[in-house]
Amino acid sequence: MVMKAPDKFYLRTENQEGRCTVYVNGELDLESASQMRAAMATLVELTDRELVLNLRELRYIDSTGIGILVSVLKARHAKEAPFIVEAIPPNIRKLFDMTGITPFLTGTATS
Amino acid sequence: MNTKDEVVTIFVPAAAEYVDLARLALYGIACKMGFSYEEIEDMKVALSEACNNAVLHAYGDLPDGASVIAAAQEPRVEIRFIKQADALSIVVKDDGTSFDAAAAARRAESMHGKSITDIEAGGLGLYLMQALMDQVEVLSGEGTQVMMTKRLTKSGEWA
Repeated sequence: MVMKAPDKFYLRTENQEGRCTVYVNGELDLESASQMRAAMATLVELTDRELVLNLRELRYIDSTGIGILVSVLKARHAKEAPFIVEAIPPNIRKLFDMTGITPFLTGTATS
Repeated sequence: MNTKDEVVTIFVPAAAEYVDLARLALYGIACKMGFSYEEIEDMKVALSEACNNAVLHAYGDLPDGASVIAAAQEPRVEIRFIKQADALSIVVKDDGTSFDAAAAARRAESMHGKSITDIEAGGLGLYLMQALMDQVEVLSGEGTQVMMTKRLTKSGEWA
């Protein structure tokens, strides 16, 4: 019997009318960062639709991953294009709260 | 009772794909010591941040015009778990040359109270290490050494 470990990290993108949802699965760390960055580089340019990151299946993140979210936030802000992060698991949310990125992701930041 | 510290040391190549191996080792050790799931999650992130820095700076950020001297061996990262009766200390040590981690530690900052145009990712790793562990010390010299400690608070076991 062959035992295969689940993929450490993968993205699944779903395009609907006016909305592009990216499902982020697994561990977003230094190893998977380049894959995430490459995918995001293309998607931030799609200013005609909402960019949504769904984190329901994200098991792990550290400052490398949070740094990518900061870059996406800033790029979308500069283009005046909507960016939403949804379904944040509690352990991930704790790190977002600690670093102070939460208000920017949930649209409650003051500026 | 034997109060002598027990030490587990692992060496991994200074490469991104080995950081999760450090996390796995930590998980095993911290579980056996009786840390809670949440405490282990905190330590996993803190340890990864230290390892990330070690990997990123392993080859040195050489200034322009500096001569590159081939390393005698592949850069690697040393991770030492020091099990104490009431705490776990983790030491992450690399031989990178030019990263001033002590100066970086003083710049460690979060995004609280900033505007979207002012926020940046720099300094977050060290900020998280300090926020997630009870104590963090950064020593720069020949390479960088980070020592971080999490105290064990076993609930309901006070006799």
